[in-house]
Parts: sequence; structure tokens; C-alpha cells
Amino acid sequence: MGWLAGKTIRLVGESSAIAAALKAQGAALVAEGDCDVLVHVAAPQPARPVHELSHAEWRAALDAGLDQRFLQTRDFAAARRSAGKGGAVVYVGAPEQALGSDQAAAAGALINLTKTLGVEWARDGIRVNSVLTFDQGETLGNLVAYLASDYAAYVTGAVMGVGLDDG
Amino acid sequence: MPVPDNHIVAMPPPFEEPPYPADVFAGQTVLVSGGGTGMGLAMARAFAQGGAQVAVMGRSLEKAQEGAGKIATLGVRVHAMSCDVRLPDQVAAAFDEAEAVLGPVTLLANNAGANFPVLAEDISVNAWNAVTRIAIDGTFLCSTEFARRLIARGQGGAIVNNSAQYIWTGFPGDAHSAAAKTAQATMTRKMAREWAPYGIRVNAIAAGFFPHETSTAGRREGGTEVLQNMIPAGRTGSIHEFGWLSAMTCTPFFVALTGQVILQDGGESLRRSLMMPDYVPPRERAEGPWGWR
Repeated sequence: MGWLAGKTIRLVGESSAIAAALKAQGAALVAEGDCDVLVHVAAPQPARPVHELSHAEWRAALDAGLDQRFLQTRDFAAARRSAGKGGAVVYVGAPEQALGSDQAAAAGALINLTKTLGVEWARDGIRVNSVLTFDQGETLGNLVAYLASDYAAYVTGAVMGVGLDDG
Repeated sequence: MPVPDNHIVAMPPPFEEPPYPADVFAGQTVLVSGGGTGMGLAMARAFAQGGAQVAVMGRSLEKAQEGAGKIATLGVRVHAMSCDVRLPDQVAAAFDEAEAVLGPVTLLANNAGANFPVLAEDISVNAWNAVTRIAIDGTFLCSTEFARRLIARGQGGAIVNNSAQYIWTGFPGDAHSAAAKTAQATMTRKMAREWAPYGIRVNAIAAGFFPHETSTAGRREGGTEVLQNMIPAGRTGSIHEFGWLSAMTCTPFFVALTGQVILQDGGESLRRSLMMPDYVPPRERAEGPWGWR
């Protein structure tokens, strides 16, 4: 048994729990090139008072939390379409209100981007979901593995957390 | 209209390949309200695939027994009971009976529900009470009965609630269910917080359209094929994938998952575009081809 047997997954960002769960369910992790699934993990950034952020710092947070996520997903989806195959995207990050205002903006944007792309690409067979959580443990790994798998074939545009404080 | 051939439709594995081992719930008993038919039966069968013993509760004992027969073919012990989830004494008695026959109930699926399209002005007091109280009071009564027993025994457990994809948008033409299903989702979050110290997890599935023989659209002439194309995913849901996700939330795979309402609707509730069909008020729709009168 393996939810992800035969699937290739590109894991962008660091999460040992997610990497372990994907491998345990039979996925092959690839660093670049074609892949069936894109999992994008944004590292939590330190929260700072928003009025102390320079525009450049603000921009860097939005670039990491939103722009890079969108652009990489756009390229992933284009590759899947030209291959005539469906796929899955899972965004992982901190809860919307967990960190600074920069992250709140990026997370809010990501939430509605998830809902939008999940429908916009539905007929390409490409699903898009988000997990925004404080959890770094096995449940996060298993939840991401589930969302990446065909068991979640009817789950798209969904945004969820893991624990009580994830909002 | 059929889904065009060049569209790609994501499909789940077949029923015979559940996402968890056959002993994931071994030694545990699940109580499923409304478990004899439809989505409740799908939940019950999914728990049974993980080795749980199943207490099937229904308003009609006949339907519960019929469902129990279908669950028993999966090789688990099953017990059918009749219960009106709006009545606290009946709920307590059903738990007593389930635990006497099968042992301590450590898993609960709140599925009992009634729903039918109706104009808001045509909802009678009886109809309003039936739909809202089965979902709202029923979930309250079953969940608290379940939790009190677990807390007294010092035992953890898990609850999964069958909510709906229209809890964030409203559901014109279905006002009673719109209210009831959102109440179920919001109590999910609060109960999860209250019972976290006792190791009781509470989650909900905001389910989309999973046709079955007792669903409203399942009775449409021509079946549900015509409905596939209105869903972004290109199909209606397969009822076993709903059962699986419900049961999954209660497995050790998701041991830290609690207070979550997980959307599983093929993108149906998120449809929006600059160009949409003309708005037809429910009152006018009631008489049309998508109507119910």
C-alpha cells in the first residue's frame, strides 16, 4: 500500500515531516524536472512590527510567501498541461494571523489563490490545496501526502489547518 | 451536457483500496447516526474497512438493519438500532445498547440529517424544526453523550461531522439546511477546543454532491449524469471517497488533526466567473426544469 506509489513529487522548501510522509507513501522526490505533484513549503519568518519594515523587506516577504509560490505553480501547471496529465499542488505555510502583517497579507492572498486555481485548473485535472498550520509533525506530513494523492481526487480549492490554533 | 473528452477528470482509487490498513480501527466501535443509507452508510462502510465494529443508528430500524447488512459483508460486527437524535433519552439509550452489544464507543460519525429544497416562505414550523434540530440538536446530543462517556473512562476518541459545501455561501432554496449545516461546522470548532484536553478530536467534512439512492437529485429522471458537467472537477463525488475522508480524520494518520472543517466538493462551491447564467430566484426556479414542485 502507498497513497503515492508511482508518483514523482517536487518538494520546495524544508519540512522533514512532509518529506518523510511522502516517501513513506511511495513517492519519489525529485529536485527538478517533470513531476506529478508540487509541494511548496514556505518557511516561517520572524514577526516584526509592520511599521518597522522597509518596503524592500515587505516585498521580500510577499515574494517568498506569494509571488514565488504562484510563479512556480504556474510553470508546474503549464508543464502538466503540455504533458496532457493532471497533477496536484499543495501549499504549506503558517496560519494567516500567526506572524507579521507581511505574512498575513501573503497568506490571505495565498488562500484565495488556492480557491481560484483549484477551480481554474479543475478541468486540467490539476488540484490545488493549502495547509496553513503551526504543526510540524506527522499529521502535517500525512495530510500533505493525502492531499497530494488520488485519494483526495475530489478535494480542490480547500484550505485547512491541523490544530486548534491554526484558524 | 457531457464533460468534453479533452478535459481531465481526477479519479479516486476503487472502493477495494482504502487509504488505511484493515486494522486501523481494530478493537474500536464507531456509532454512525443515519448510518443505514446514503452518506452515513458510506461513512459506516469506510470505518468497517478499517476494522471498526459499527453501531448503525437510524430513525427507522428497518433502514438501519438494511444498512447493517451491507456493512456486515465487510467482515465486522454490526448492530442496528433505532433512535431519534433529537431526544436525549433515546440518544443515551442507544449508546447504552451499542456499548452493551459491541463495547465502548470511541468513534462517532454525526451524519443524521434531513434535507429537501423548499422556498423559505414555504418552510413550516415542523419542517424547520425537523431539519435544524436533527443536525444541530442531534449533533449536540450525540457528541455530548459520547464525550461524557469517554471523559468518565479517561479515554480519547474522535468525532467526524457530515457538514456541507454551502456553509460559507448560504444556499438559497434550502434555508433550513443552510442554517443547520453551518451550525454543525461552527460547533465542530468549539467542541474540538473544549475536548482537546481529554484527547477527543472533532472534525467535519464540508461535503459536496455525492449522489446516492436517497439524495434528492438521485431521484431525477435520467439519473445524475447530467449533473457532472456543472462541477469544476468534471464529476460528482464518489460516495466511498467521502466515507474514506470522514474515517481518515479519525485515524492515527491524522492524530493531531482537530477543529478542522475540510472541504471536499470538487470545487463546486467555489465556482465564480464574470460570465454566469442569469440569476433565477428560487421561487421561479421551483417551477422550472431544475425545480421541485
